[in-house]
Amino acid sequence: MSAESLQLSLPARIIGLIAGIILTAIGVIYGLVQGASVQIVILAGIATLAAFVWGWQFVLGQFAREGERAGDEPSEIRQVWLRFRAPLILLAAILLLFLLLSLTIDGFFNVWNVISLLILLAILVITRTLSRQFQENRSAFIGVMVLSGLFSVGAMKIDGFSSTSNIKSMLLFASFLGIASVGQTLVALLGGLDLSIPFIIGAANVGLLYLIGLGVPPWLATIIVLFVGTLFGVINGFLSYRLQGQALIVTLGTGFAISGGVQILTSIGTAYSGNVFGTVPPWLTNLSAMDGTTFGLPFPPTIAIWGLIALFLVVSMRVTLYGRHLYALGVNRTSSKRILISELRYWVMMYAISGFFSAMTGGLLLGWSGGGFIGVGDQYLFLTLAAVVVGGTSLLGGEGGYGFTVIGVLVLQVLSSFLIGIGLDFQWQEFIFGLLILPMVALYARSPHIRTQI
Amino acid sequence: MTRTSPVAVAAVAEPEATSRAAVPAQGGRSSPFLLMPITLFFLLLGFAVLRSPNLITNAGIGSAIIVATPLVLATYALMAVVIAGRGTVDLSVGPLIGFINVTMIQLHGADIINNPFAVIGYALLVGILYQFIFALIVIYVRVQPIIVSLCGYLSLSGINLVILPRPGGMAPEWMASWGLGTTIFSPVLLILVLATLAWILFTQTAFYTHLRLMGSDERAAYTSGVPITAVRIGAHLISGCFAALASITFTALISSGDPSQGTTYTLIAVTALVLGGASLAGGRGNVFGSLLGAVNLYLITFSLSTFSFGAVQSFVTNLAYGTILVISLLLTLIIPVIQRWLRNFSPLLYFVALSVVALGVILHAATDRVPAPASSTAPATVHAQKLAPIDPAKLYVGPLEVSAPDASEAKLQQAATPIVLSVLMLASIAIFLRIAVTFSSRRSVAPAVALVVAALVLLGAFMMRHAQDVGLSPVPVHEGIKR
Repeated sequence: MSAESLQLSLPARIIGLIAGIILTAIGVIYGLVQGASVQIVILAGIATLAAFVWGWQFVLGQFAREGERAGDEPSEIRQVWLRFRAPLILLAAILLLFLLLSLTIDGFFNVWNVISLLILLAILVITRTLSRQFQENRSAFIGVMVLSGLFSVGAMKIDGFSSTSNIKSMLLFASFLGIASVGQTLVALLGGLDLSIPFIIGAANVGLLYLIGLGVPPWLATIIVLFVGTLFGVINGFLSYRLQGQALIVTLGTGFAISGGVQILTSIGTAYSGNVFGTVPPWLTNLSAMDGTTFGLPFPPTIAIWGLIALFLVVSMRVTLYGRHLYALGVNRTSSKRILISELRYWVMMYAISGFFSAMTGGLLLGWSGGGFIGVGDQYLFLTLAAVVVGGTSLLGGEGGYGFTVIGVLVLQVLSSFLIGIGLDFQWQEFIFGLLILPMVALYARSPHIRTQI
Repeated sequence: MTRTSPVAVAAVAEPEATSRAAVPAQGGRSSPFLLMPITLFFLLLGFAVLRSPNLITNAGIGSAIIVATPLVLATYALMAVVIAGRGTVDLSVGPLIGFINVTMIQLHGADIINNPFAVIGYALLVGILYQFIFALIVIYVRVQPIIVSLCGYLSLSGINLVILPRPGGMAPEWMASWGLGTTIFSPVLLILVLATLAWILFTQTAFYTHLRLMGSDERAAYTSGVPITAVRIGAHLISGCFAALASITFTALISSGDPSQGTTYTLIAVTALVLGGASLAGGRGNVFGSLLGAVNLYLITFSLSTFSFGAVQSFVTNLAYGTILVISLLLTLIIPVIQRWLRNFSPLLYFVALSVVALGVILHAATDRVPAPASSTAPATVHAQKLAPIDPAKLYVGPLEVSAPDASEAKLQQAATPIVLSVLMLASIAIFLRIAVTFSSRRSVAPAVALVVAALVLLGAFMMRHAQDVGLSPVPVHEGIKR
C-alpha cells in the first residue's frame, strides 16, 4: 500500500476523529457507570480511539484509491458499495449481532465486551486490507491475526488466561492435536483423507497398555505399537491408492476394523469393555503429564517433541526432494507421473507416516491420562480435519503445508480455551467451532467459478 | 476445483457404453455395481435366517423394517447429494436427523406442534431449509462441500446437545405406536415404500439425467447448457426431504429424543451408501443398491447379535462393518473385469435367482429345524449385554449350527441331499441359460426362462418340505418334522 493512498481529504479525517471521540466517550461513560477503575477506563479509551482511527485510515485509504482510479463512473457511493459489498454486509451483521446480544443478555454491554468487539473489528479490517499483500501465505497471515486477536481478547477477559500454567496446558493439548494432524496434512497434500486417525489413536492407546500389562518391556511395547500403527498406515495407503477418490470411506472402514479388532484382542477374558487398566511407566507419564520436565526444564517433553516434528517437517518439505515431489503430485498427478514420480510410493509413504504419528499420539495420550480407553481419540475424527482446513491446506492437494496446520491447531486450541474460559460447555464450543470454520475457510479457500475452468 | 477422478468418470460412462454397443436392442441401464450388494444381501439373509429363524416371522420382519428404515432413508438423503458430485459427502446428515428429532420432541413437549401434519411439515421444512442453505453456500461462497458439511456436523451436533442435553422426552402418541414393530404393515413401511417409489419416479425425469451428468463431469454439464445451479439446489432439496423422513422414522423408532444417536448415523449411512455401489466421487448411485446396502448393515448387526459375544459385542460389529466395507470396495475393482464377459448384467434376474435360493434356505430354517432356545430368544435389535467373559468355544465353534441334528434329522438331510443338489444344478443351468440368452440377443426369452427356473426351484423347495407326500423320499420321515 503506497503512502499516497493513505492521504485522506481533511473533512474525512475530521469526521473520523469526531466519530472516534464519540465512540470513546460512550465507552468511557459506560466504564465509569459500571464502576471500573480509572486507569482501565483511560487505557480502554485510548485503545478504542487508536483502533478506530487506524481502521478509519485503512478503510478510507482503500476507498480513496479506488475512487481515484475510476474517475467518472456513475456514482462514487454506488461504486464503493459494489466494491466492498461483502465486508460492509459482514460489518453490519456483526454490529447487529452485538446489538442483539446486548439487548437480550443482561450485563453484556460492558467495557470489556465493547473493547473485544473493537479488537475483532480492527482485526477484520486489517486482515481485509493487508491480506492482499500476502497472496502466497494469506491463510497463514489470517490465522496469525485471528490467533493474536483471540489471545489478546482472552487475556483481557479471562483471569489467568495468559498465565504460564494455562499456556503450558494449551500447548500440551495443541501438541496432541498437532501430532495427530501431521498425517492428515500430508495426506491432504496428496488429495486424500485419513479418517482412521482417531481409531488408530484409540487402538494404540489401549494396545500399548495391554502389551505393558502382558509383561512386555515398555520400550519394546512402544516400538511394537508404533510399528503396527505404521503397518495399518501402509494398508490404508495401498487401499486408498487403489480405490481412488474413495479415501474417506476406505480409511473409515479400516478404522472401524482396527478399533474393533484391537478391542476384541484386548478385552477377551476381561470384564471391561473399552477400558484397559494397568500401570503406565513413569517415563511415559513424564512425557506428557502437565508437571513433566524436559531435561530439568519445567514443561512436558511432548511440547518439545511437537516443536521438533514441526520444524523438521516444515524444513524438509521445503528443501528435500520428497517434499517437492509431494507438492508436485498434489498439484498435478499426471505430469508428476511423466517425470517418474511413483504415485503409489508416495501414497503409501504418507499414509504410513499418518499411521505412525497416530499411534504416537495414542501412546502420548496414554501417558497423559494414565489409563487405556478406546474412545480417547474420538474427538480427533473431525478435529484434525478442521485443523488442516483452518490452517489453509487445501483438501484437494498441492497447497498448504505443515506450518499452516500448526497455525490451525493453535487457533483451534486457543479458541477452545477461550470458550472454556468464558464458561461455555463442550456442546457450545462444538457449535461455535462449526460456525467459525466456514467463514475462516471462506476468507482464503474459495474455488474459482466453473466458467473460469473450461 | 472439481477434479472428478478419471477412474470414476470412466466407471460411470462404461456400463452404458458397453451395453449400448453390445446389445443395441436392450436399451435399459444395466448396473453391474449392484452385483455386490445383491450377493451380500442374500449371503447375509441366509446366514441371519439360519442363525435365528425368528427374523422371518411377522414380528421379526416388522421390527427389521422399523429399525432399518431410518438408515435406509438417511442413505437416500446422502445419495441425492453424493450423485451431485464435487465430493459432496454430506457428513452432517446424521446431526441433521438428530436436530429435527430433538427440536420436534422439544416442540411437542411444549405443546406447540401435535398433529401429524404439523410434525411432518415441520420436519420437511427444517430439512429443506438446512439443505437449501447448504446448497447456497456451496454455490455462492464456493467452499468445498465437504468443509461445509463438516461445519454443519460440528455445529448441529453441538446445538443438539444444547437443545436436549440427554436422551429423553416423549414422541407424539400417534407416532409412538409406529415403533412397536409387531407387524409388517406399519406406517413406517408406507413411508419407506413411498420414499423408494418417489426416488424411482425421480430417476425417470430429465432432472435426474442432468444431475448424473453434473456429478460425473460438472464442466461438461455446464458447457452443454445444464443449469447447474438449479440442479445442485434441487439435489440438496431432495436430500433435505429424505433427511426429514429419516428423522420422522427415527423418532418413531426410539419414541423419544436422542441428541447423540443421530451423529452415528452419518458414518453408518456413508458405509451403507458405499456398500450399495454408489461412488463418493459423484455421478453413480442407485436406489436399489442403497436400499440393499442399508439393509445389509442391519443384517450384519442382526446376525452378530444372535451370537453372545458379551462385552465385545459392539467391537465385533465394528470389525465386521469395517472388514465387509473394505472387501466390498475392493471387489468393485474387479467389476470392470466382470463386465468384459458379462455384457448385459440384469440385476433383477440376478435378484430373482438368488432370492429363490434364499427362499429355499428360509423354508428350511423356518420349518425343518427346531430352533434352539438360545436363538429363539435372540433380540431383534442390539442392546447392551451384561459384561461377562467370553467362552472361547462359543467364539470359534459352530457359527452355523442352530442345534445338533438328531438321528431323524440326519436321515432327512440324507434324503434331501439329492434334491438340494438338483436345485443347485437347476440354478446354475438357469444362469448359463441366461448368459446364452444374453448373447443371442433375443430378449423376449429371458422372462420366460426366469419364470420356469423359479417354478422349478420352488417345486424343489416344496419337495424338500413335503418329501413323503410326493413320494420321492426313500426314507419314511416322521417325527423329525414339526408342524
